[in-house]
Amino acid sequence: MDVPGPERLIEAEAALLRRFGYSPFAGEEPDWPAMWELLKGDFATVARPHVPAYVEMTPWPREAARIYMRRRLVADRLFEECERLYLELHAAGIDTERVEAYTLGRDAYEDAVLDFGRARETLEEVLARRVDPRYPA
Amino acid sequence: MSSFKTYDKGDVLPEDYKKALLNLMSFQADSEYAGAQRVAENHRFATRPEEAYRLSKKVFEEMGHAFYVWNIMQDLGVDVDARLFELSHNPDNPDPAKVNVINGFRKENWSKFFECWEDVALFSTVVTPAAVAFLGQYQNCSYLPWARVNVRIHKEEFGHLAFGVWASKRCIEFGGEKTREDMQRRIPKFMKMGLGFYGRPSSGDRKSQMFDIYYEFGLKVKKPEELQAEYLELLDSRLKEVGLVMPAGVEPDYDMRIGYEAEEPAAA
Repeated sequence: MDVPGPERLIEAEAALLRRFGYSPFAGEEPDWPAMWELLKGDFATVARPHVPAYVEMTPWPREAARIYMRRRLVADRLFEECERLYLELHAAGIDTERVEAYTLGRDAYEDAVLDFGRARETLEEVLARRVDPRYPA
Repeated sequence: MSSFKTYDKGDVLPEDYKKALLNLMSFQADSEYAGAQRVAENHRFATRPEEAYRLSKKVFEEMGHAFYVWNIMQDLGVDVDARLFELSHNPDNPDPAKVNVINGFRKENWSKFFECWEDVALFSTVVTPAAVAFLGQYQNCSYLPWARVNVRIHKEEFGHLAFGVWASKRCIEFGGEKTREDMQRRIPKFMKMGLGFYGRPSSGDRKSQMFDIYYEFGLKVKKPEELQAEYLELLDSRLKEVGLVMPAGVEPDYDMRIGYEAEEPAAA
């Protein structure tokens, strides 16, 4: 029986998505450990004096941290969208088209910020279950 | 509630009505933009990443409120781009002959109320309910384009109130009882602003001169006393949610004018 190897299944998925414009990310991966160092303070509490570094985490909390950081990156791109729309309004003047375009950008940024918040809550739950028992206060 | 004639986009407006309408709209729009600038100045207090992002989105929302109302004013022949230019190029001291920014949102008045992130959280918890009540009445005003825009603004102001409650709870979560007590002590300075938001009572010696005109025109549809009652109800529920108590005996600060009666001559 011809059981597809793991790569072949993923390739089939990617081929389907490529029909609609998917292409694999070809840029540089973010420096996850460095980014985590700037964000991890949000998880330090009296009950959790030690928040592990990125490289110290096991796969489960590490993935929750990566998703939290990916959500943050989405928020950053939409922040830039707002910035562009805001500057355009100032340069070109107030009109209905630009005000409504700005509103869409701003709504999308809001959604991204709230997603970032939800990812923080998920990461917090995973840290509580997986990390705290290893580093008791 | 009095009955009044309504107007929609394109209708010819009586001159005195139009003047009163533009007075109120210009205070709202110009002050929303200045308010966004003030909120942005409070970024320096943000202690954690999510606090920073949530405040950032609030800045963009307040700007959006200004843009909505200016867009309508433009339809009535106002040069809104000149107002936008004045505010964006002179954020610290915009010319009162050119724009109508309420006293409370001028930098020299605003900045003295903020010493820490807890103040930022409390402003949105304690003062924003006043904005919710005040702007909420415009949803039912006689100039329908403005009423429609205020439906959107009102919904977003509830979001700012939610931000205040969220931020205040986080302060107490991280800072404990000591922070809760400190925040409790800071409430009165913001509550004075909130109570003074709507201007003076609608009757008696301290009555606002302009209120009767706005009320007759249907540009204001609730009396200051009604709005104040709405404010106190909202404030009480939000403070309880945070774990704080509404203090007694706080007097309104009408002169701070976070809200506006627009009694002084407005910039055209």
